[in-house]
Amino acid sequence: MSRLRLAGTGVAKRFGRVAALAGIDFEIEPGESVAILGANGAGKSTWLRILAGLAKPSDGRFVAELAEGSARTALSREQLRGRVGYVGHATLLSGELTARENLVFAARLHGRRPSRAEQDALLAELGLAELADRRVSTLSRGTAQRVSIARGVVHEPDVLLLDEPFTGLDEVAAARLSRQLSRLRARGCSLVVITHDPQRAVELADRALLLHRGRLRGATRRSEGEAFGAPALRDALVRLAREDEANAEAGAGRGAGERDGAGRERDTNGDRGERAGTPERGA
Amino acid sequence: MTTRATMGSDAKPGAALPGAVALLGWILALLAPIYAWTVWKAPLDDVQGVMQKILYVHPPLAYGAYLGFVVTAIAGGLFLWRGRERDDLLAIAAAEVGTIFCTLMLVTGPIWARGAWGPGNWWVWDARLTLTLLLWFVYLAYLLLRSFTEGDERAARFASIYGIVGVVLIPLNYWIIDLVGGRAQHPENIERGSLGPGMGLPFVVGNLTLFFAFAYLLLLRWHTAIEEAGRVNGEEPKDAA
Amino acid sequence: MNVALALLWKDLLCEWRSRDRLVAMIVFSILVVVVFQFAWPAAPKEQTEALAPGVLWVIYLFAALLGLGRTFTLELENDALTALALAPGTRGFIFLGKAAASFVLIAAVQAMTAFVFALFFRLDWLDAAGGLALVVALADVAIVSVGTLFSAMSARSRFREVLLPVLLIPSLIPVLASAVRATAATLGGEALTLAALQPLVVIAGIYAILGFLLFDPVLDE
Repeated sequence: MSRLRLAGTGVAKRFGRVAALAGIDFEIEPGESVAILGANGAGKSTWLRILAGLAKPSDGRFVAELAEGSARTALSREQLRGRVGYVGHATLLSGELTARENLVFAARLHGRRPSRAEQDALLAELGLAELADRRVSTLSRGTAQRVSIARGVVHEPDVLLLDEPFTGLDEVAAARLSRQLSRLRARGCSLVVITHDPQRAVELADRALLLHRGRLRGATRRSEGEAFGAPALRDALVRLAREDEANAEAGAGRGAGERDGAGRERDTNGDRGERAGTPERGA
Repeated sequence: MTTRATMGSDAKPGAALPGAVALLGWILALLAPIYAWTVWKAPLDDVQGVMQKILYVHPPLAYGAYLGFVVTAIAGGLFLWRGRERDDLLAIAAAEVGTIFCTLMLVTGPIWARGAWGPGNWWVWDARLTLTLLLWFVYLAYLLLRSFTEGDERAARFASIYGIVGVVLIPLNYWIIDLVGGRAQHPENIERGSLGPGMGLPFVVGNLTLFFAFAYLLLLRWHTAIEEAGRVNGEEPKDAA
Repeated sequence: MNVALALLWKDLLCEWRSRDRLVAMIVFSILVVVVFQFAWPAAPKEQTEALAPGVLWVIYLFAALLGLGRTFTLELENDALTALALAPGTRGFIFLGKAAASFVLIAAVQAMTAFVFALFFRLDWLDAAGGLALVVALADVAIVSVGTLFSAMSARSRFREVLLPVLLIPSLIPVLASAVRATAATLGGEALTLAALQPLVVIAGIYAILGFLLFDPVLDE
């Protein structure tokens, strides 16, 4: 069972013209699986990268702790990276290596040397037994994605972080992946999964967080019944999108400038057009 | 209107900075005419004639050139350590001002050399000259790295790293070139005490003036950059509140 | 250290399968040797011997630039670089693994280049081979140290083909200057003294330490 607790207060990520996260408070308790929902450019990936120990917040406090009974030990970013698995947009795999070699390499980066039997077990669990010795560059997107997930859990992390794992998969492959992730979760590896599909969020998580323009704009948990259903979450997402449209119509005004996805269009000559991080009413 | 101070790096916009800029500006305005006057009044050199007066400009420029890079490296190191955007802005300011001083030093040097050493002697591969040229290339690389790297924060991080390597590179190069190159041709006026009568004062005033010019430009550039960043980050300038 | 070894193993395995860096560097080096054959015609033997160390090092430098430029661009495919950034512990070991892999590749190319160079220019370097190898190895430590650091930075920039040399060459001038001198001494039949190697040892040491310590923020986001 996971013992890793991830918490942050006022966590922000911004620099120059780009503000990806505008200051969020969160707590992810040990063993809890969380889905992060939001439109493109809401800051979801940035958040996940902070949780993975890949990025430092530019402001606020982010703590990763190991809970041992009532005792808690804070982890450094270097230690945290050993405790989480990360599956990104891209597969993070070396195309020249086979699936098995990729797993062994990832394990060795984490200071582990899985035995042949352990490798086989992991490969079989993700339905890769027959494809183990094929080069990754020859695998289909769906298969490569499963190898990528195997890579993410090869060091038995407490938490697996997934950034839009269903993108680019057909319905069958996505359903299969979802089942496999549920199995991992049942085995004690909790999930933090970014998705824009409320259905998958409900399948995989105990709690859903709505991120919008770098701010947390809603949270529901399984115990809340209907509020945690796919229809309710979809409604919430639509509401936020409408709010955006209304703001945009309200006059391309001052507050509407923060569009952090678009804020990434950068112009190194110092023509600073985008207003990032404008305080929002009632946030 | 209260704006939340979410920007850790700009939590305290350094109220002392505009004051320091103004003070340095006044000192500079006071010194510059004195400088011009002393250089004008300084005696002509018997051998080199008017060309010798470059002495009052060229060596003091070295301050800016080398100091600029030291400041860049220190500010870069602070940025890597604390992650504050202001430290990075200081690093950029120092690199830019340093580049100007370094360029001027590279331009005035050969003019003097041509005058003192005769036609065709614009340049020698002496340790100090080589070093200054290298410093200029390091500055160039630093500025190019900043503008070519994608992502503002990444650019700041990479530039900080390069600044630190650069500041180690300079003494290392000096040592190696000295070891390999051998003969030194660059004059060592001050060590030999070869300043003629009447030349000491303009030399000292020149050093002082250009030092203040460096400090003024550096702080001015830094201040402007902070203001600009503050505006971008949605913090209203004070007088607009 | 395990991380460094794993990365060395992975890089060499990938290189063995694709051979693209190795082939590019070897072809480039041999072509330049041939070009020099024509650009620098029929000189007396003493002249050839006097110029050889400098010419050899110019070829080494640019071949190394060619190879180093690809070290991290390979990792951009599938964002494999993030997989390296995810490794727990000090990222200095990632640096060590990458630098070691580049060292092996570059040294192999250099050995082959020296052989072809001596053959084409009818130089007898057999007696000095040991000393030459030592000088080249020390210089290579310095080259791959800053080279790995800067190539990780330039990989994610625009105009990386231009940026890497601009970043790298100022820091390689002291390496080049001391390596050419030590090479000339060795090939001239002098015994290698500690004094001749000292600059290279110092530079290699400083660069390796800088690379190890400064690599961590390179992989941050």
